[in-house]
Amino acid sequence: MTRMLSRAVLFAGLVLAGGSAVLADPPPMMMPPYIVRPEAPAGDRLKPSGDGKTLFEVHCGYCHLVGGMGTNLLTKQRMMMGETPDKGLLANRTDLTADYVKSVVRMGKGAMPAQTKVDVTEAELEAVSKYLGKAG
Amino acid sequence: MKLHLPPRVSPKAFDAMLAASAKVVGKDWVMASDADRDAYSDVYAPGSSEEWPAGAAIAPASVEEVRAIVRLANEHKTPLWPVARGKNLGYGTAAPRLAGSIVLDLGRMNKILELDSKLSYCVVEPGVGFFDLYDAIQREKAPLWLSVPGNAWGSVLGNALDHGIGYTSYGLHARNLCGIEAVLPDGDLVRTGMGAMEGNPAWHLFPFSYGPTFDLAFTQSNLGVVTKAGVWLQPAPETSLEIVWDIPNEEDIAWVIDTIAPLKISGLIDQNVFVPSWLGKMVLKGQRKDFWDKPGAIPEWRVQELLKQYKLGYWQVALRLYGEEPVVRARAEVVKAAMKRHLDAAPAEHWWRQGDPIGQYETTMGVPSAVPLQMSDWIGGRGAHMGFSPVVPATGHHVMDQLKRSRKIIADHDVDFYASFTIGGRFANNINMLMYDRDQPEMVANMRKLFDALIVETAKAGYAEYRTHLGWMDPVADTFGFNNQALRRMTEKVKNALDPNGIVAPGKQGIWPAAYAAQRGGKA
Repeated sequence: MTRMLSRAVLFAGLVLAGGSAVLADPPPMMMPPYIVRPEAPAGDRLKPSGDGKTLFEVHCGYCHLVGGMGTNLLTKQRMMMGETPDKGLLANRTDLTADYVKSVVRMGKGAMPAQTKVDVTEAELEAVSKYLGKAG
Repeated sequence: MKLHLPPRVSPKAFDAMLAASAKVVGKDWVMASDADRDAYSDVYAPGSSEEWPAGAAIAPASVEEVRAIVRLANEHKTPLWPVARGKNLGYGTAAPRLAGSIVLDLGRMNKILELDSKLSYCVVEPGVGFFDLYDAIQREKAPLWLSVPGNAWGSVLGNALDHGIGYTSYGLHARNLCGIEAVLPDGDLVRTGMGAMEGNPAWHLFPFSYGPTFDLAFTQSNLGVVTKAGVWLQPAPETSLEIVWDIPNEEDIAWVIDTIAPLKISGLIDQNVFVPSWLGKMVLKGQRKDFWDKPGAIPEWRVQELLKQYKLGYWQVALRLYGEEPVVRARAEVVKAAMKRHLDAAPAEHWWRQGDPIGQYETTMGVPSAVPLQMSDWIGGRGAHMGFSPVVPATGHHVMDQLKRSRKIIADHDVDFYASFTIGGRFANNINMLMYDRDQPEMVANMRKLFDALIVETAKAGYAEYRTHLGWMDPVADTFGFNNQALRRMTEKVKNALDPNGIVAPGKQGIWPAAYAAQRGGKA
């Protein structure tokens, strides 16, 4: 797939009009800067690792850091549900359970494709789901 | 997803292949559960993903493991479908052309083997994604820029090998490949170009072999499994200037192409210039139902209302120049003067200079992003897309001819028109984005009919797609009919010589080995 964005598209503001949600163009300077992900931890990816935050940023950061595709879509969804925009970031959610995170990662949800065990191993997913699953 | 076996492979033989492969890569890297097969399916499949089902997936970590798996596949007669990172969304994702093929997932081979700022190139394995390479460059503060596709979630090599395009001066990604290492279908290992000599330091710098040059024969190809390659990178420029024009009317695309293409061909413009239609902007503003809540195509009067309301042109040209400031300024004056002959409105100009921050959606500055995939939310539900992507000569005459034809066919199928032209020099890639909700069978069926019609009618006019989804690889291959399919016949002779068991990616781009010739034309 091959297409691009112009520079000033997206994400920051929502204009609520007539019950629908339309994303407004922010001025160019509001475009979030690129976020360099941490380096993937060295070692055997199949062995349990405790650092869920780093693994989340490495393996889920393509879409779920500030300004990412997943964050943008979730920000809109959460705001439609009356929540604050910061809840578009999975790291800020307090209602996720570890089992739910595992299910979405492996089964996919809406625009999110299922992730293979090469994308994220079971051991990595265990750590990520503990990090995100603040509701247990 | 249930297990689909490849043709003539018994459950016992399939299990034997998986068991033998587990001894090579480790049992955790042989993935054969129903959930694994789902994870390797086409997430954007136009219809059931069981039309293109993987039987299993195997993930080797090294060239030697790839060679061992390829030899086992020959022994057990189980076809393999190599993917780099398996993110070819819109063209089949990680799913195989032939049902039951084992996906050879190269995602674990993700080493950046060289990153050379002096001669501006890198050597990478197939599992290196655009984000990985970009992050490594930022960490090293290397003065190098990438060229990225719209969806940059995938692999640098995978995208180049599938003829992906980007929007910088290095946007023709297959042309950036220099010096390939590939495992042949019998498990042998070759290096192209200067790499055919042991230890030659010019391997990834000089683009030819001594004798026939096979690098591009490994692109859109089933002649081998690429395990590493050199990729030329753009030196970070001192400055860059983006010049943005909103182009008011649909038919203006003719003069836009006739103005920009000569400047691109002459070298005054380096960049692959992307010209999207208005819907490319709208899909990121919300969902379709927010703007038009009826099922058929958005009518023209409503399109005009939306353009006015959101202050959009029918097209947008966001052209970018790179280099030393005086050079960029001089080039910009030439480009602006050429555009002004057709359009009075002054363009917006955005300068960037070394040290300035770069926003995360700056695709034309080589920043990777997956945000363009947000368009899957436009239709809603399990939103997906396919691209109908013919190549046309970069003249207003050819572009208008193609535009009018595809516009009419798309309108006849009552589907929204979302086109773009990317001017790559003497040609333009015309991508027509077709979006659908996978859970609406009538909508999907209509898209498939539309896709069939676009291929047939476009071929009648003499144009062809540069790339296509799994389900249309044979029909598109059929359109290349010169001298009774001479090119396909030649490629299949080579394929059969290199791959007598037909185990590497049978059916890729319509090239069928003799072992699976009966599968040609089947949907899966």
